Amino acid sequence: MSLPAYFLADLPPDAPLTPRLIEEACLTLQRNRELYLVPRSCAQIIALLEELGRNWRRPDDPFRQLAVSEGPQQTGFSRATLEQGLDNFFSQLTETNMRRLLRQDLGEETALDDYHPAVDPRRCCRARGPRLLVHFSPGNLPDPTFHAIVLGLLVKSAQFVKCSSQAGFLPRLLAHSLRALDPKLAACLELATWPGGRTDLEDILLQKADCVTVAGADDTIQTLRQRVPVTTRLLAYGHRVSFGYIAYATSNETSLESLAEQAAADVAAWDQAGCLSPHLFYVQTGPDQHFPLRFAEALAMALDRLEHVQPRGTLPTGKAAQIAARRELYAIRAACSGTTRLWCSPNSTAWTVVYEEEPDFQLSCLDRFVYVKPVIDLARALRAAESIRAHVSTVALAAPAALRKTLANQLADWGVPRICPLGRMQQPPLTWHHDGRPALGDLITWTDWEMEPPSSPPAS
Amino acid sequence: MSATGVISALTRFAEHWLSIWDPMHRRADHWPPEAWHEDLFNELALELARLQYAHNPPYRRWCEARGIAPSRIDHWSRIPAVITSAFQEFEFSCLPPSHRSCVFYSSGTTRGKPSRHFHNSLTLRLYEASLWWAFQKALLPEILSGPHPQLVVLMPPPDQAPHSSLVYMADTIRRQLGYSMDTFLGTADGTGLWHLDASRAWTRLRTLAEQGRPVLVLATAYTLVQLLDTPGLTPHRIKLPPGSRVMETGGYKGRSRALTSDELYRWISERWGLPLTSIVSEYGMCELSSQAYDSRFSQGDTQAPKVESERTAQPRSATLRLRRKFRFPPWVRVQVIDPETGTEAPHGRPGLLRIFDLANVGSVLAIQTEDMAEALRDGFRLLGRATGTRPRGCSLLAANGAERADSTDSHL
Repeated sequence: MSLPAYFLADLPPDAPLTPRLIEEACLTLQRNRELYLVPRSCAQIIALLEELGRNWRRPDDPFRQLAVSEGPQQTGFSRATLEQGLDNFFSQLTETNMRRLLRQDLGEETALDDYHPAVDPRRCCRARGPRLLVHFSPGNLPDPTFHAIVLGLLVKSAQFVKCSSQAGFLPRLLAHSLRALDPKLAACLELATWPGGRTDLEDILLQKADCVTVAGADDTIQTLRQRVPVTTRLLAYGHRVSFGYIAYATSNETSLESLAEQAAADVAAWDQAGCLSPHLFYVQTGPDQHFPLRFAEALAMALDRLEHVQPRGTLPTGKAAQIAARRELYAIRAACSGTTRLWCSPNSTAWTVVYEEEPDFQLSCLDRFVYVKPVIDLARALRAAESIRAHVSTVALAAPAALRKTLANQLADWGVPRICPLGRMQQPPLTWHHDGRPALGDLITWTDWEMEPPSSPPAS
Repeated sequence: MSATGVISALTRFAEHWLSIWDPMHRRADHWPPEAWHEDLFNELALELARLQYAHNPPYRRWCEARGIAPSRIDHWSRIPAVITSAFQEFEFSCLPPSHRSCVFYSSGTTRGKPSRHFHNSLTLRLYEASLWWAFQKALLPEILSGPHPQLVVLMPPPDQAPHSSLVYMADTIRRQLGYSMDTFLGTADGTGLWHLDASRAWTRLRTLAEQGRPVLVLATAYTLVQLLDTPGLTPHRIKLPPGSRVMETGGYKGRSRALTSDELYRWISERWGLPLTSIVSEYGMCELSSQAYDSRFSQGDTQAPKVESERTAQPRSATLRLRRKFRFPPWVRVQVIDPETGTEAPHGRPGLLRIFDLANVGSVLAIQTEDMAEALRDGFRLLGRATGTRPRGCSLLAANGAERADSTDSHL
């Protein structure tokens, strides 16, 4: 890839990174923020980000072209999966959405620019983003890193993104595309990548940051949490698990094939790598006791069709072995027990559907490996999913309009932070509450200005 | 066929098996070339597969689902294999329930259930013969000419671990060498966890070292770490007599800090004064009746080690780095399966290890492991367990017990 060496992540892999280098980078970022970012209004930043999003959706954009041509080798996702994932993300990056996000999380679109009267008439408030925002980015897919960078720019923070050593490619392209558009803004952004265990480098970041976001494995977060200074805010996004629920009555409104295609799209998006991807689909049995089984079969056919237009990425042998080993077990169960069925891609591990009557939640090994389980109703599904209740992220809901609100309330009461239509699991809106929290609002610190009471007229 | 008929058929096969390899194992310290004869293996494998198809109901259903009847195939490589995790759910056994006198459990669990391998006196006889002959070739090449080394087993005795195929193996070796039960220095508690009184073990080792006779230590990797981590004696080093040797097996099960094989071997070598060639790694599992070894014990540094070796580049760690190549005895064949395609992987390419064990008479001879390996010209190299690695995007698998977290130690 022929990108100029501008960010630390552009250096050759063997270039030595030292704590001093990281410290100097942090100081430079903070200085550049004062010069280039703080003076700008949110409206100016929004206009720039919208242009960035527009560029990334153009087929001739050089950064997009690099992403989709070299991405398969660099990221393990196929070209079609990359194109779809990038389109989904950047189509959200509109002025309307960003203004909505500011209003939603801060109350005012210009809350970061100036004071605004609070509800209490004796007070004005102004929002401030962190001076230095540090992101420890996940290694599975680019969306969370893209989202984090966008939020950081909106709150006018200098940002240091420590990318996973395997997943720096797309964030680098985003950073370079920003630099091509506005070098001064890009001077407020740094990206670096290093293998795990460099606590000497990480500790500098933790000391210099006002706020740290981390997305990754729970044990990574646990380790980091213990090292973050008490004055630094830590926003941790641990691993989450998602699933789908398909109410029987929805089959009266939507064909089985459409339902299966929507579910297949959810399984195929980012090759099921993200926390928002479904591990399984609970399907309600109804008068047609075989509806869940028929759905599983239709899902298998849909995944097979999808494989021709949006193939799964090439897997390392270890991951393929996980799929192969699980398939073997389910194939034996299917042969010996009669309550299990298995459909899978021939001569490859590209996709797998396992139907099991036993309803307990089962984590998938991912990479387009999904379970279908029949349940009598949503309450039964939620009882069966109790083991992942504290980790649930998204539930895709397919139900007739008349039932949706009741089911959505049931899901909210159970603790589900996001409910979406089938087929949209990996497309959260820019304004979404990440793991149930205001992602932009959590970055903010407020300055409250309590006004002096109007002077009373002198007593006469 | 009646239960008696099944047992008679298995007995005929077992007697045939013994009559072939018993004379060969006596002849030399290496297996003679005819022991490895491809036609011999193929003929026996197909015969056994047919027997198992006929008398092992879940295996028959599995073969039928695959559309493969052993009577219609002509090569052992086409015999349907059963993945080890399936032994946790189904009773893959030819033995009628009333004839099962013993069962071995795996230590790794899925949903809390261990793998089960059922035995009777006949299949145990085969297990004993198989394990003893292979062990002798790997660790006691001088058995026919020299004195026996003194045995130390860092495992619980059989009455405390009656379902461990590894302890059964150690006890068979103990009986063959004529030692008493006090060679077992470990204990097992009511939950099945194994413990070692490190101080007692060090004392025993020092005493034996002072007597000047070679020592043979049988231990799991995690017990060795436990022992070496808590020396219990000062000084923390002893010098085991020349000719001493260690058989190490299994992973760590998260019970002690994990060391790489290199580190562990170096540590044993330094603390016990043994050449690295005195440490032999064993690979086995409860679903099998045979074991693979990564080398043959060779006495003294003058003999070329039978392991592949290379010098590391850094002068500070210029130790012999063992590249562990495992070999099974001649009644076993292995394949490394490309998981993507399900076909055999070329030599040197990683894949899932599949084992065809003719000593596995009472269950299933073709076992699909979840261990990653690469095939070599005359053996295989282990690369770790496929399901032990975390799927990307989720760290919950290990926590909910849905996966076996350890590697190559399922016959504890």
